[in-house]
Amino acid sequence: MSFPYVHELETRTLLSEYQGKKDARTLKSWRDEGGYQRVRKAIDMSPETITDVVKESGLRGRGGAGFPTGLKWSFMPKEDGKPHYLCCNADESEPGAFKDREIIRWTPHLLIEGCLIGARAIGAEHVYIYVRGEFFEDTQHLNKAVVEAYEAGFVGSNIMGSTWSCDITIHTGAGAYIAGEETGLMNSLMGNRAEPWAKPPFPAQAGAFGMPTTVNNVETLSTVPGIIEHGSEWYRQWGSEKSPGTKLWSCSGHLVRPGNYEIALGVPLRDIIFDVCGGTPSGKPVKAVIPGGSSTAFLSAAELDCATTYEGMQEVGSSLGTASPIVMDEDTDIVRAMRRIAQFYAHESCGQCVQCREGTSWIVRILQKIESGDGRLRDIDTLYDLCEQMTGRTICVLADSVVFPLKSSLDKFRAEYEAKMTSDKVAVG
Amino acid sequence: MSREIHPAVVGAQPFQTAERGQFDGPIFKTKEGRLRLEMALTRYPDKRAALLPILHFVQEKKGWIETSDMEEVAEALEVTPAYVHSIVSFYTMYNQHPVGKHLIQVCTNISCHLNKGDEVLECFLEETDTRQGEISSDGEFTVIEAECLGACGFATVVQVNDRYFEGVTPENVSNILDELRAGSHKR
Amino acid sequence: MSNGEHQNTVTLTVDGVDVTVPEGTRVIEAAERVGVVVPRYCYHPGIPTRPAQCRMCLVEVEGRPKLEPSCTLQAEDGMVVLTASKTAEDARQAVIEFLLVNHPLDCPICDAAGQCMLQDFAYVTNQLESRMDEPKQIMGRDRISDDILYFADRCIICTRCVRFMRDVAHDDALIVAERGHKSYIDTFPGRELNNPFQGNIVDVCPVGALVHEDFVFKARAWDMDATASVCPGCSTGCNVTIDTKENQIVRMKPRHNSKVNSYWMCDYGRKHLVMTNRGVRAEVPMIRDGDKLRATDWETAISWVARQMEIVGHETGSAVISPQMSNEDLSLLWSLLNWLQIEKVEFQVSSGETASLPSVPKLKLRADRAPNAFGLELFGAERVQHLSSETPESPLVVMGDLLQDAPEKFGMGASFFLYLGTRLPEAARNAHAILPVVTFAEMDGTFTNFEGRVQRFHQALNPPGIARPGWMVLSRILAELGTGDVISDVRSAFDHLVKNEQAFEGLSWDGIGLKGAPVRGGHEEVKNLVPS
Repeated sequence: MSFPYVHELETRTLLSEYQGKKDARTLKSWRDEGGYQRVRKAIDMSPETITDVVKESGLRGRGGAGFPTGLKWSFMPKEDGKPHYLCCNADESEPGAFKDREIIRWTPHLLIEGCLIGARAIGAEHVYIYVRGEFFEDTQHLNKAVVEAYEAGFVGSNIMGSTWSCDITIHTGAGAYIAGEETGLMNSLMGNRAEPWAKPPFPAQAGAFGMPTTVNNVETLSTVPGIIEHGSEWYRQWGSEKSPGTKLWSCSGHLVRPGNYEIALGVPLRDIIFDVCGGTPSGKPVKAVIPGGSSTAFLSAAELDCATTYEGMQEVGSSLGTASPIVMDEDTDIVRAMRRIAQFYAHESCGQCVQCREGTSWIVRILQKIESGDGRLRDIDTLYDLCEQMTGRTICVLADSVVFPLKSSLDKFRAEYEAKMTSDKVAVG
Repeated sequence: MSREIHPAVVGAQPFQTAERGQFDGPIFKTKEGRLRLEMALTRYPDKRAALLPILHFVQEKKGWIETSDMEEVAEALEVTPAYVHSIVSFYTMYNQHPVGKHLIQVCTNISCHLNKGDEVLECFLEETDTRQGEISSDGEFTVIEAECLGACGFATVVQVNDRYFEGVTPENVSNILDELRAGSHKR
Repeated sequence: MSNGEHQNTVTLTVDGVDVTVPEGTRVIEAAERVGVVVPRYCYHPGIPTRPAQCRMCLVEVEGRPKLEPSCTLQAEDGMVVLTASKTAEDARQAVIEFLLVNHPLDCPICDAAGQCMLQDFAYVTNQLESRMDEPKQIMGRDRISDDILYFADRCIICTRCVRFMRDVAHDDALIVAERGHKSYIDTFPGRELNNPFQGNIVDVCPVGALVHEDFVFKARAWDMDATASVCPGCSTGCNVTIDTKENQIVRMKPRHNSKVNSYWMCDYGRKHLVMTNRGVRAEVPMIRDGDKLRATDWETAISWVARQMEIVGHETGSAVISPQMSNEDLSLLWSLLNWLQIEKVEFQVSSGETASLPSVPKLKLRADRAPNAFGLELFGAERVQHLSSETPESPLVVMGDLLQDAPEKFGMGASFFLYLGTRLPEAARNAHAILPVVTFAEMDGTFTNFEGRVQRFHQALNPPGIARPGWMVLSRILAELGTGDVISDVRSAFDHLVKNEQAFEGLSWDGIGLKGAPVRGGHEEVKNLVPS
């Protein structure tokens, strides 16, 4: 629905300029638009220079954690004689997020360019693009683009006549949210269960196939060609010191115009929800927003003036995550919504860590009980306690991911939980 | 057809297809099967890494993965059948049971939930007269609840085999089913 | 530290105690050195992979924001570890509460009760009540192999069993199926485990999820007595613990010995020993009275045997000895044979298929299905394929159970036929005297394993009737003949061994302890002593 609609707050420069334009999918038109010249430029640059430019740009990982991309690349060992791998994380499965799919299906060549430049920077000989299995149709566009790029000599041996070679393989997942966690992704790539592993070893030491590996998100890599083309200063014209650049916003929930929007970081969240997306279809007030995908903390209507930067979202106790606000209007049953979110995490827990395996499903059962009116006040205390016990105790952050929305919903919408409990039960406690 | 597939994308073919039951015998004894296996193996430093792509291929051809397939895949990739079983049961997209011609996956995760996803699911179940995971009596449909399909802005999202239906409402469920029925008759 | 290699060490503090360990040591192991056992489930010292997934061994490290899993955390110089800080204990208590969310709490009928790490840590962490009052998830029971059952609801998915099969036995036949709270342990559908070492998965299971079918409902942990012993199933000599109840062997479990069997043993060994409960035993001495054998008491039997030997005199004869006899038995027996001047001593070892555990090269089910063939070789006995069926008219001594398949007339012509055994085979009827001795499980003693390691075993059962250890019986005969003292304790029997057989020189009963010690000069030199 977001195309061809373009809002004035949008900056459709780096990522979304060609979204909605079918022609851009073909190599021919992509080259006509100047495509692959950035790769040419990167081949002429040293890996260190590429890394430095990206470092200076301040680009932060768009997969949710916001780790500085250039810094991540600099962890890769140099001239160690081992094969290096770049994994492009296209296993987009965070509820609320649908931005990577948009990049893959409209501008596959942009992603391939980003992958090549990233690979060049970290000395990778092979890029694995791990696309979530459900994206059949979108993957076909990417497939076509990769084959075209191979045929044009932009991927494979002696790229663009240089001495540099790099392969790209599309690897499809098979249905596991946890494969979006970087070690889970590498395990899945290696043909294992997508179980995250306890670090160390860190991916840059021993990642995929035991070799130094970097895992970058689709949007992150797709941002890189623009930075290489125009330089880090150009990129920094948008956003804040700590959160430079533009970002794709996947807006969903109760919105008149849900969809993806490329917006410079720092715009107040309220403007995105009300101006860009047109507010709620019912016209009723917004009750709550989960700003960064379902694993981030709820914001109440009063908190929507926060700046959409990594630091701005932190200030209001939430996080930018994947920049995927899920908007809920006044009629939303928060307990029910929270139960649905918790159900997802229980379904997607890989089952290694006890807190996550047992905790997520226990939370679902408590929430179901409250939802059906059988809850007691002490259940709220139990939920709070589970939140504490499931934070920072596990191999990966899936357990933490359910805690953020749960705890914030308890903090901010406790009355809704209590309202589900019949008065006598409340009294008994 | 296989000949046209570039090795770089050999593991990324649509595997939730409607062409079911075309293969009965051993899949890697066929020319296409052997070719796909060999191509997949060229893309990874480890044989085991070809496991997901190869399981995709099995499902592409058979619609689901049965124990005899797992044994065959295990042999081809030098892992144990038990290991393949562990993988197949970990990932939700591998069908461990036969499904209808159209596998209908209705997202009811948060954004779709806020946009009547649960009702859409109910409608699909009602209209096909099935419970989740069952094959409808005409063999056409299997309906299941799905977790986030990654198209939240276009809720409710319904995936039918390899195709996404976006913005589905309870009202257009029967139209979708009619379209699917007509499509499979055409085939 | 061996080979004169310099190894760096680090010094850290665990719960206020300094400990210096080699670089690379994990905190969980460093803590053990100062007597701190951090609760754990997925960590097992014998399984190389450490997924750090049970989150039970989380400890606090000063200066670090998060609790760290001590099983994978490398000890560092100056590290200050608190294993029992409030945060660490709270986290541990929470893990127990989480583990009990779906647990059926069926301890009263669970075979692991009393030896269950979930039970133990629930008490340790004082997690005795659960806030969980929602419906539990029920998964049921499955068969993992012909003799192992899996109780999914008790399982805590620590994956020790999966990793034993995969990383120790290199047989990736056991896996985690499904994921999250639906995870369970499984084999390939329709296929059971079939590995000669699979019984170890029951031992590594920290809870009652994996149980040997023949042990189900058989004994409560607190009703059993545990005795340190050595498996007599083959020449490897796996260190074991024998669990007994009401004077019956209920089960045998491996006992750790890094020099022999690590943490493991084979299934053949387990089953073999439990079988020894069966059969009719020789319970009283019998001496020849005309053409009959008459039961009598030890006094009478011993003096009768000594008189008969004196009548026969120092006449060359032959002896057949079972490789099931202890070193002490052999030592006293050789004194008796020397008195008789018997030099022809034969033994036969039944043999079977071998099986090995890939990651523990020394641990094999060896072809020699007896614990002390090597000991017999050290004494100079000759290994034969078949025992000679005809016996000349000279003294014959048979010690041990090897006459089950002997011809009916075996030993008939002997001038004096002495049989010491635990059972009463047909051919024993021809003996002049039957002296009932005990099995290894009914006495203390030592065996010498395939590479010359002398290992102690201890008395786990009361002997039947008035059967006595072979060495004790033999020493009394020798005393009656005036060539030695009566030996009635195993230490003296061992001393007799050390004095009389040079290979054992320098060893002492207390010195070899529960882990054993190599015979003189160690393995290499002993190899030269023994004709191969």
